[in-house]
Formats: sequence, C-alpha cells, structure tokens
Amino acid sequence: MTLRELLARLAGALGRGRGDDELSTELSFHLEMLEAQHRARGLDPAAARRAARLDLGADAPIAEAWRDQRGLPPVDTFVQDVRYGSRMLRRTPGFTLAALLTLAIGIGANTAMFSVVDAVLLRPLPYPEPERLVAIGDRTADGQASSVGFATVLDWRERSRAIESFAMMRAWLPTLVTNGEAERLPAVRVSANYFDMMGVRPALGRGFTADDDRPEHWRVVLLSDALWRRRFNADPSIVGRTITMNDRAFRVVGVMPAGFEPLDAERFYNTSAELWAPIGYALGGDSSCRRCQHLRGFARVRRGVSLADASVEMNAIREQMRREHPSEYEAGSIAVVPLRDALTGNVRGALLVLLAAVGFVLLIACANVANLLLARAVTRRRELALRAVLGASRGRIVRQLLTESLLLAGGGAVAGVLLAAASLEAVAALAPVTLPRMSHIAIDARVLAFTAGLTILTSLIFGLVPAWREGRASAPRTLAVDSRGSVGGRSRAQAVLVVADLVLALVLLAGAGLMLRTVRAVVQTNPGFNPDRILALSFSLVGQAYAEDSAVVAFQERALQQLRALPGVDAVTLAGQVPFGGNGDCRGFHASGRMKPNPVDDPCIERYGVTPDYWGLMGIPVLAGRTFTEADTAAAQPVLVISESTARQVWGGDSPLGAQVRMGNSERGPWRTVVGVVADVHHDDLTASPAPAMYTPQTQFTDSFLVALVKSATLDPATLVAPVRAVFRSLDPSVPIYDVATLPELVAKSSAERQFVMRLLAAFAAVAVFLAAIGLYGVVSHGVAQRTREVGVRVALGAQRRDVLALVLAGGARLVAAGVAAGMAAAALATRSLGTLVFGVSPLDPLTFGAAAVMLTVVALGAHILPIRRALRIDPAAALRSE
Amino acid sequence: MSKADVLQGTLDLMVLKTLDSLGPLHGYGIAQRLLQVSDSALQLNQGTLYPALLRLEQRGWIASKWGTSENNRRARFYSLTRTGRRQLQREAEDWQRMAGIMARVLGGQEDAP
Repeated sequence: MTLRELLARLAGALGRGRGDDELSTELSFHLEMLEAQHRARGLDPAAARRAARLDLGADAPIAEAWRDQRGLPPVDTFVQDVRYGSRMLRRTPGFTLAALLTLAIGIGANTAMFSVVDAVLLRPLPYPEPERLVAIGDRTADGQASSVGFATVLDWRERSRAIESFAMMRAWLPTLVTNGEAERLPAVRVSANYFDMMGVRPALGRGFTADDDRPEHWRVVLLSDALWRRRFNADPSIVGRTITMNDRAFRVVGVMPAGFEPLDAERFYNTSAELWAPIGYALGGDSSCRRCQHLRGFARVRRGVSLADASVEMNAIREQMRREHPSEYEAGSIAVVPLRDALTGNVRGALLVLLAAVGFVLLIACANVANLLLARAVTRRRELALRAVLGASRGRIVRQLLTESLLLAGGGAVAGVLLAAASLEAVAALAPVTLPRMSHIAIDARVLAFTAGLTILTSLIFGLVPAWREGRASAPRTLAVDSRGSVGGRSRAQAVLVVADLVLALVLLAGAGLMLRTVRAVVQTNPGFNPDRILALSFSLVGQAYAEDSAVVAFQERALQQLRALPGVDAVTLAGQVPFGGNGDCRGFHASGRMKPNPVDDPCIERYGVTPDYWGLMGIPVLAGRTFTEADTAAAQPVLVISESTARQVWGGDSPLGAQVRMGNSERGPWRTVVGVVADVHHDDLTASPAPAMYTPQTQFTDSFLVALVKSATLDPATLVAPVRAVFRSLDPSVPIYDVATLPELVAKSSAERQFVMRLLAAFAAVAVFLAAIGLYGVVSHGVAQRTREVGVRVALGAQRRDVLALVLAGGARLVAAGVAAGMAAAALATRSLGTLVFGVSPLDPLTFGAAAVMLTVVALGAHILPIRRALRIDPAAALRSE
Repeated sequence: MSKADVLQGTLDLMVLKTLDSLGPLHGYGIAQRLLQVSDSALQLNQGTLYPALLRLEQRGWIASKWGTSENNRRARFYSLTRTGRRQLQREAEDWQRMAGIMARVLGGQEDAP
C-alpha cells in the first residue's frame, strides 16, 4: 500500500471523502443503464428490471467490498463498534449512568492520588542527571544520612574515587533589614561547589568560587528569584550591591533562576531556602573538629559508578578514618541515599499505602461494573445471538463488547479526571506541610497518560469476563433457547465478584480503622506539658546591638516586663526552642565522678535555654529540687535543671541534686550545679519516647534566637498576636518576629502525616463500602428477579413472610459471610504494609478488625432491604401468569 | 476463456487501457466496453469493478467527477491522470514482456517429447 493510498484510506475511514451515498447513486445509474439496455432488446419494463438486477448483483456485497477498499478495515470496525456501542449504552441509561459514576469515582480517585505520587516520588528532580545525586552522612536509626563534620568531608574528598564531588550545607537564619523592615530569612550556608554539584547556574551574576569559601571572605550571597522580587523589586542592578543582614554587610553576587528548587535538607517550617552564602570554614577553626557534626553532606557520584559501589567505598574510607582517629569516630556506617529518597523520606511509605488503597477502590469499581455488564447480558443475549446468526464471528462479538467497555471506561475517565481536578485542592489541603514538592502536584500530560493507560486496563479488567462469556454464549443455537435457561454460570461469576468487593472493602475498612486508632493514640499521648491557651512567637536578637550577652538579657527582661503588663496575659516566658520545633543543640554531658573513661563516650543531651517561669507556664511538673530564680544571674554560680530521663541515664537511682556537670567540653568551661529535676517532655515526635534534656538559664547561657511563650486564661491566644508584636516593635523595630502559632497547633502538626493518611484511607474505605453495598444490592435484587416465579409458587403453596425473607437472605448471607471471612484474612496480610505508620495499636488489633467486620456486615445486610421488600410484594397470581 | 474471475492486476490494467482509449467513462461504460472487447467473456462482477475504481483513484492513477450521462442522468465519470498514463505504459510493457515469456515457455513445452 502506498503512503498516498494509506492516507486516502485513512481519510475514508474517518468519514471524509466519498461516502456510501455517492456509491449508491453510482450503482442506481448503473442499474438504470442495464435496464434500458434490456428494454431496448424488447423486454417489458418489469422483466427488464429483473434482468438488470441479476446482471448487477446485490447491492450489499458490492457496498461491502467497496467500503473495505474505502477505509482501513480495523479503524472502520472500531468506528462502527463505537457508534453501535454508544447507541446500546444510550438505550440503557440507568445502567450506563451507574457504571459511569462508579468508574468516575474509581478512576478519579486514582488519578488524583497518582498526581500526588508522581510529583512527590516519581518525577525526576529538576537537576541534570539527578540519579547521580545522593545525600551522604553517618547512618541514622532509620537508615537515612545524618550530619557530618567539616574535616570529615575534606578527608572524603581526598580519598574517594567513586564520588565526583562532595558538597556541604548548614541551616542559617539571618535577619535582613531593608527600609526599616526586618525579616528573618530561611537561608543556608553551602560549600562553594554546591551549585556546581547540582548543575544549576545563577540567572544573574555568578556562583560561589573557592575563594569566597574562606573564613575571612564568606560574606557574599546568592538570592532566590522570589526574594529578589519581593524585597528588591527584581532590580537587575542588584548584583554587586551590598545588603545588610545581622548588622553586617553582604555583597550580592547573583540571583538564582525562578524555577530553581533548593535542596531542603533543613525545612524551615513551610518555606525553603531563599538565600545562600558560603560556609567559610577552614581546618583548625572552631567548627572544623571531627566530632562537630552539624553539616548536611551531598554528593554527585561519578558517572558509571553504582550507588552500591560508592557506598562500599565510602564505608571502607570510614573504617580507615576510624583506625586513624579512634577517639573521633564511633563504630557505625555511612549511608549513601539517593537524593530523592532523602528528600521524600518517610512520606514514601504513606503515599504508597494510599496508592494501594485507591487501587483497591478501582478494583471494586471494576468488579461492580463487570457485575452490571453480566446482569445486562440477559437482555442482550438475543441481540448478540442474532448478530452471530447474521455472520458475526465470536471474535467480532467479543471485540464489540470490549469496545463498549472501553467506551464506558473512557466516559468514566473523563468524568474521573474532572473529579480529580476538583478534589486535588482538597487533597493538598489535607496533606501535611512536610509533604515535599507539594507545589508540583497537578494534572498534567504525565498524569493524563497514566489515566489513559489505567482506563484501557480498567476496561479490560471489567470487560473481559462478560465479553468472553457472552461471546461464547452467543453461539447461534442460543437463539432458540430461553434466556432464563442458562443463568447458573453468570450468577456464580457475579457471586465471585461481589465477594471480591467485600474482601477489598474490608481491607480498606481495617486499614482506616487502624489509622483512626493510631491518630487517637497519638493525640492522647501526653506531650509532657499543657499546650492549652499558649501562643508562641519566635524572634531573634542578632547584630551589633546584641553582640554582648548582657544586651540580649537586658532586652529579654524589658520584653518580659512589658508583655506581662499586657491586659489578659497571665504568664510569659522566653525559651531558646519552640516546643515541638525539635532540637539541634545536643551537647556532651560530663558529670563529675560519672564520666566514662573516654569522656567522648559520655551522653549527648539536648539543651534548652529558658527563663525562670518556663515550667510553671508550660505545666511541666518539678520532681526534685528547685527551678531557676531571678537570683540565678550571669554572675551567680552556673546552675542546671535536668529531665527525669537524664537523671536516670546518668545517675541511675541516685539523686543528681548538687552534682557538678560540664557541658560540651569535659576539660574546659564552668562546672554547673544540678539544682532540679523536671518531668520528661516530648519535643518532637509524640510517638517516640522523650529524649533526655537539660535546661540552662538565659542569663547564664544566652540564646539569640528565642521564642516568647504567652499564656492567657481568659483570651483566645490568637488575639494576643497583635499586642505582642506591638510590644516588640516599641522595644526595637528591627527585631524580626516569625513562626507565630499556638502550641496546640504545633502539637497537632506532629501527627499531621498520620492524620493525612487516616483521612484519605477513611474516605477510600467509605467509597469502597458504598460500592460493595451497591454491588451486593445488584446481585441480590437480580436474584430476586430471577426467582420471582419460585417465590410466587412458594407463596401460593402457603409460604409465610419469614420463609420468603429467609429465602432472599440465604443467598446474600452466604456471600457476606464468605466476603467477611476472606476479608479478615486479606486484611491481616495487608495491614502489615502500614508499617511504622501504626502507633499504639497492633496491626492485627482484634477490636478494629471486629468493628470493621461488623460494620461491613451491617451495610451488607442493609443492601438486602430493597430486594426483600420487592420479594415480599410478589403476587403469586401475577408471578405465575407472567410465565 | 469462459466467464472467469479477473486477476486483480489485469483488471487494473484493463480499466486504465479502456480509459486511455475511450476517454472519460462511467462505471457502466467501462463494464460494457470490457464485455464488448472480450466478446462477452468478461462479465465483470460489480463488486470487483467499483472497489477497483476506488483503488485506482486512491493511488492517483485515475480521477473522477460527477457529470451528465448520454441519457441526461447524474453519473460519475472516470478519467486517466498523468501518473495513470505513465503507470499504464509501464504495466503494458511489463505485461507484453511477461506475455512473450509465457508464450515462449509454453511453446517450448510443446516441443518437448
């Protein structure tokens, strides 16, 4: 076939070019000419017409052959099937609507969920060759890479062959003042090769050079596009200009491109880094010790080297370095984690669970539509048999039925995509703020391609069984058989599908139930303090004016005084850490007389700097000794309050009161006296046991990043934001306020991810149960319709209402029992995949499983109500007459 | 030769030749002409003729348009295109050569013992 002919045929198939009408005009002209010819030979008109007819032959085969030539046969049959199929679907609007709706829900939910998974887990990171980028560091308990030290990374750089470049990063929170407006910026300090390693160049100006990355030179910055627009009006002459942060001058060397996605190893609440400066370390400096592990390590693996090989080499290097510096490195290993895994972290498990759950919903939808198709097949059996008699092959009929399935799935997909687009915002609103790459979630070409594939797969899943069955059943002899004669097989197929529905629904119900109990357990976990009615506002005191600790302490005292004077405020305290903001300040805890032979092995305890009112305001019980007072000034003997678990870990059963402790360095620095023991507090994740803690007074260990905690017994804490801000503005307008939240909000955030999973699972489970109930209703009510005559006979012979009831229930109850039993087994296997998401409840919790089974059974019995009513209303006389 | 099915290739060639000799013709005219030159041996199946006409048109060898017939009826007239004429020439040559070969081969067989 030439290209020209192919195009002509394609045009023909799609209905352009010469049509059937033209052919029939042409043929009738031909017929007329033949007729005239016969008449000229002396035949009478009727005989001439007959003879002409005989000469020409039947129109239908001519037209058929002509049509075969006109179009592409496969395309043609498809177009025909689609036309025919849509006619058939329009003829049964109830069935079509039910199927479309079911599919729209199934496909829509999958489309929405996939768009989230695609954006967060699948889409390549926006850097060149992202598969070679890794996070690298000592391995944490969950296998992720944690912090590393500067000197360590320099050694790696020298020794590794497998890795092309190592970059380092640390969080930084400078305060930028422009036009008298102070803003604390989320920023990071990075090694000079950071951007080169990622393969991203600034849009304006230049990147960092090795020369920038030295202790005396590091005050140069790169701005994010957003910051440049927000604070500098997108001024192109910004490069080379000087900006002031923390009272120091920084030279802007460049602006990053608009689409640049920074590596947010440290997430700053809801935002990512907006400014970059070099680390500016040198060997021998304060922060370059091998044990000072406070940098995040990233690397680009050399082309052609596998991550496994890189990991083997890095661990060998670690062993080597441990032999060389036995006191600096503990036993352990190095994690080389693909960058995407490092960024998406534990969200991965949650998303995969949800994707599986939403897949179950689609399977249920498929089972239901297959059931609907089977039920409808009764009414179509004669039609299909007729087509078979007229010469349609079995393959042809199967193809016709599959085309109808595809039509249904396609319609469902269109509605589903609209549904997904509408619900995406709701899903995003439910999502925890920690979900990375959230902003990329959208229904785009990739998602649509997925949906298209899913649609075809779906139509095959629900279409194949009925199509195969009906294709077989449409053998010509069926025409003679009463359609009611052969329902056994179909009922069995329907029963299997309904049981599958129930099993899947029960799995989802059990999963949702476990997450519900998990969230309850998390919410009920006592954080160790009472967050009620407390407002937290962060602020920072940096720059020349606060270079001396005494200036910071003086500001703190003035702030405390004025805040306490605000109407409605009952108590105020200042602390170095936001509760539930985690803690990055872990220091060696060296207790006199209890130090390990090598003090390096002493525990690392988290430090919190507070003012005296802290425990009272937070409602943290004091267990022994005293807390801080106004008398614990900078000049007084340094004191320390420790948490219960610190006391237990270091002193066992002995009283720590009066003990002397050095913090950080075992040989230098003041000895601090332990004056009190307080109860443990959760500072991060409610599901982890509280970490040991120690507290220092702000007067003796002064933080410059602080949080004001304000409590009011009478006012909604949110109403205090404005007056508190006003106090700070009156004290010093250049002090930035940020991260304003109430403590209940902060506590709730810690279970956000589990709540997200719980809510979506609950929604999916509800849909699943609903669909399963509909499927069951269809089968039971179909069964009743089938047995109308039987019921009629029984009633005529004297059966009572309860006999009819038993008859109807018997069939359904068997299905429900089978579904629930198999569902329990399946759920027991499936809930294991919830893994670490489950907390405070066993993945096989009998109560949850029992409740799920009861709930499903009740709903399933509910699906019997309408069919039972119909059965009870059967009039024996009418039922018998109808035969 | 009795009333036989026509080989597809030969039908194409015959249609092209007919249009070449007689100019634009409708389907009836083509069928009549073939009947006539074959002394009624070629009774064309119209289910073969019309698809063939469409095929030749799709290949660009003939063109068609509606016109008025000798008895004043609407009829579709087919005519040879320039590529059609070239194709006819090529195919006719091929056919002559093939016919010559066949004649020689069959003649040679007669000589055999």
